[in-house]
Amino acid sequence: MGGDHMEIKEEEYRVWSEGKNVYFDGTMRLPSAEAYAPIFALVLSILESEPERLTVDLTGLQFLNSSGINLLAKLTIEARKRPNVQFTVRGSSEYPWQTKSLPNLKKLHPGVDLRLT
Amino acid sequence: MKGPAQETPGIGLRSFRAKFVLVVGGAVLFDLLVTGGLALWNVQRLSRDAATEVGQGLEQANQDYIRSYAESTAARVNLLLSQVHSDVGTLAGVLQAQIDRPVRKSQIGEAMARGVPGTVNVVYNEKGGWAQNLPGPLSVVSVWGYLLDASHNPLPEVQTEIENSAVLDLVAPSLLANGQPKLQMYYIGPKERPIFRTAPYTDQAQTFDELYPGHNSENFWTFFFPGLYESWEQWAKDPQSRPVPKDITQTAPYTDAITGRLIVSFFEPLWSRDRRRVAGVAGADITLDQLAEIVENVRVADSGFGFLAMSDGNVVAINTTGEKVMGLRAANETGSQGVTGLDRSLRRSTQSAIANLPLDSDGLLQHLLLDQNGEAVPYLVLVKQLQPTNLWVSGPVRRETMQLGIVVPEREIYASLFAAQAGITEATNRILVYQILALLVSLLFVITAVFAISKRITSGISALAEAAKRIQAKDYSVRVEIPTRDEVGEAGAAFNRMAEQISYHTENLEQLVEDRTREIEDANLQISALNEKLRSENLRLGAELAVARRIQMMVLPKAGELEEIKDLEIAAYMRPADEVGGDYYDVLKDGSRLKIGIGDVTGHGLESGVLMLMVQSVTRALQEAGEMDPAQFLNRVNRAIYKNITRTSTNKHLSLAFLDYEGGRLTLSGQHEELIVIRDLGNVERIDTLDLGLPIGLEPDISPFVATREIPFGRGDMIILHTDGVTEAEDRNGELFGMERLCESARRRYGRNAEEVKIGIIEDLMAHIGAQKIHDDITLVVMRHR
Repeated sequence: MGGDHMEIKEEEYRVWSEGKNVYFDGTMRLPSAEAYAPIFALVLSILESEPERLTVDLTGLQFLNSSGINLLAKLTIEARKRPNVQFTVRGSSEYPWQTKSLPNLKKLHPGVDLRLT
Repeated sequence: MKGPAQETPGIGLRSFRAKFVLVVGGAVLFDLLVTGGLALWNVQRLSRDAATEVGQGLEQANQDYIRSYAESTAARVNLLLSQVHSDVGTLAGVLQAQIDRPVRKSQIGEAMARGVPGTVNVVYNEKGGWAQNLPGPLSVVSVWGYLLDASHNPLPEVQTEIENSAVLDLVAPSLLANGQPKLQMYYIGPKERPIFRTAPYTDQAQTFDELYPGHNSENFWTFFFPGLYESWEQWAKDPQSRPVPKDITQTAPYTDAITGRLIVSFFEPLWSRDRRRVAGVAGADITLDQLAEIVENVRVADSGFGFLAMSDGNVVAINTTGEKVMGLRAANETGSQGVTGLDRSLRRSTQSAIANLPLDSDGLLQHLLLDQNGEAVPYLVLVKQLQPTNLWVSGPVRRETMQLGIVVPEREIYASLFAAQAGITEATNRILVYQILALLVSLLFVITAVFAISKRITSGISALAEAAKRIQAKDYSVRVEIPTRDEVGEAGAAFNRMAEQISYHTENLEQLVEDRTREIEDANLQISALNEKLRSENLRLGAELAVARRIQMMVLPKAGELEEIKDLEIAAYMRPADEVGGDYYDVLKDGSRLKIGIGDVTGHGLESGVLMLMVQSVTRALQEAGEMDPAQFLNRVNRAIYKNITRTSTNKHLSLAFLDYEGGRLTLSGQHEELIVIRDLGNVERIDTLDLGLPIGLEPDISPFVATREIPFGRGDMIILHTDGVTEAEDRNGELFGMERLCESARRRYGRNAEEVKIGIIEDLMAHIGAQKIHDDITLVVMRHR
C-alpha cells in the first residue's frame, strides 16, 4: 500500500490509483460498508500522505449503491479534516445516482472541487 | 480330501503337462519326420540316380567290352586265316612260277629226281591199285590207278608232273615249320593228271582207301570236290565270276582222310601259262582245332563262350559248354558226295532263340532268353562277321562269310553292374536303417527330455492349480513352493502374497468390519452433532432475523390506522431485499396533524433494520414530544441517530424526508428521492429534495442544510414516495426502471384509489424486473387526497 499504483479489480468494477488520481469504473453493488473497506483504505492511504491534491474520478462509475455512497461521504469528511489537500471529485451527470448523491459531498465539505460534466 | 475332482497333478490327458508334452513332442516329431523324410527321400533318389548312372556306365562299358572282345577275337581268326592264306599263297607262288617257266620247271624236276629219287619214284600198290613213293622223302606223292599205264607205271606226262611237283619238298617243309601250324601242305595236279603230293609224308593213299572206298576209280576232283574244279575253270574264263575277288578257296570243315581229324582245306588254284586253264592246285590243311582254339578259348565273365559258324548257321567251332548252352545237335551224317562234313547248325538248335538268331547283323548286341533247366536265363549275344572268303561245300564255289559269336550270360557280364547296384541299394538301405534309427533315437531322446523338462516346467503350474483349488476349498493356509526363477516362479510368489492377503483379510474380516463400522459410527455421531449444532445455529440466526423482520414489520403503520385518516388515502408497499430491510416509511398521526416519513438506510440486513427501528422510535418520540418545526424535527432526529451510530460504530447513514400535513397544507423536508406529484392526467411534477437536507447520521449537525418546501396538495392530487430500490431495479439488460417509468406508471393510474395505483405500479415494476435479482429493498407509498 502507498505505492504509486494500486488496483482493486473484480468482474463488475475496477478501482485503481495513478499518482494522486483514483479512478472508479463499472458497477458497484457491494453488500455492506465492510465490503467497501479495502477501497476506503486505498483512497484513505493516499489522503493520509497529505498530498497537495487528490482527485477521485467517478466518470466511469455507472452505478454505486447506498453503501458505496456512504463510503464517498466518509472519504469527503476525511478530506475535510485535511484542508491542505485539494480534494477533487469528478463525476458525470449521465448517471442519475451521481447527480442525486454527489452534491451532498459539497455540503459535507464545501472545499471539495466537484466537477460534474 | 479325496474327491473325484481332485486328480493327482500328473499325466492326466487334460493336464497342462500332457498338452505341453503333446505340443512339444508333436512339434519335434513333425520336425523330425519332415527332415528325416526329406533325408530318406533324398537318399533314395541319390541311390536311384547313382544306380542309374552307374548302370548306364557299366552297361555301356560291358557292351563295349563284349564288342571289342568280339572284334579282337574276329581279328585273331582273320589273322589266322590270313596267315594260312599267305602260306598257301607262297606255295602257290612257287608252283605257279614252275608252270610259268617250263624250262626251269623241268630242270628243277630233273634235279630233284637226281637228288632225291625217292620223291619222284613211285611204287605200284597191288591192293589199292595206285602207285605211291616209298616213305623217306619229305613228301608223299600218290598216283591214282587211272594215271598209270598197263605196266603200272605213271604215264609219261604224269611222271613229268611228279618230278615237277617235287619242288614241294623244297618249299613246304619250311612253310609247315613256320607260321601257323598247318596239318599238311600239298599239290594236286590238274584234272587230266590229278596226282596228289603232300608234305609231310603219310600213308595217304592207304587212308583214302579206308575212308573213301572207290576213290581210285574216279577222277580225284570229281570224287572229292565235285563242282570245285569247274568253278575254277569258270574263274579262268571270267575272273569277275569269283564270289570273292581272290583265288584262294576254302572248304567247309570235314573229316581229314589222313589224320581223321576235322580239318579245313585252303586251295589256291594254279593257272596255265595262258591263264586259261587250271594247271593244278596248291593247298594246305589246318585242323579245325586251330580255329576252334581261338573261339573256344573265349572267356567272357565266368561262363561266356565263343562260337564260329558258317553263314548257313553251321557251327564249326564251339566248346562243349557252349554247345550245350546253345542247344546244338551234331548230325554227323555222311554227305552223299565229297568229303565228310560236319553238320551242327544253329537252325536246328533246341533253343528257339538260337534257332531264330539273325546272323546277318554284324556287331549287333542281342539279348536272348535261353532255357536252362527250365529257367529262362538272359544272355547277351554278339555276332561278328569274319572277312569273306570263297567257299566250297559241294557244287560251285560260293561266297562265305563266317560268323564269330560271343555269348555271355547277362547275369555274369552285368555282375559288376548288379554288384554295384546291389552295393548302392545296400548302402541306401543301410543309410535308411541308420536314419530311421537316428530318428527314433532322437525322438526317444527328445520325448524323454520333454517329458523330464515338462515335469519341471509344469510342476509349478500344477502346484499353482492345486493350491488354487485348495483356496477354493477355503484352505487359506496353502502356500506354493516353486524354486524356478521364471514367470511361473514369479506367479508362485505373487500367489503366496495373494493367499497371505486373502488369509489375512478372511481371518480379520469380521474385526475389520467391526473396526470400520465403529469408525463410521463415530464419524456419523460427530457429523450428527455438527449437523445438530448447525441446525440450531441456523435456527437461532433465522429466529433472530425472523424476530428482527417481525419487529420491523410490526412497527409499520397498520391498514386500520391508515383508513382512519380522513383527508388522505395512503397505500404502502415494502419488500426488503434481505429478510431484514433498511427502508423506512411511517405515517404518524397526532390529532389533525399527519407526519409521513420515508427513508433508506444504506445497506440492508439486521444492522440496517435496527437503524431503521431507531429512526422510527426517535421519530415517534419527537412527534409525541410536540416538535412542530420540520427542520428542527429533522435536526433532532439526526443528532439522536448520529450519536447512536457513533456509539455502535456503525458505518451507515440514511436518507430521510418527511411530509407534514395539516389543514390542507403539505410541507416537505429532508433529503431523499424525488417526490412525484400528479394533479391530473397531464400534470406530473417531480420535486427534488437534494437541497432540503443532508443524509442522516453522517454529521452531528445538519441544520445548515435542512430546508422545507410547501407543496400544494388539493383534492384528487396524488403523491408517490419511493426508495431507490424502485428506480434502480434492473431488467435483464441492466436497464434501470427509472423515474420516467415510475412517473408514467403512476400517471396512467391517476384517478384510481391509492391501493389500486400502488398495486399497478408494483405490477409494472415486477414486470420490468422479471426474473432478475432484486438488489435493494423496495418501498412505495401512494398518497391521494380524498
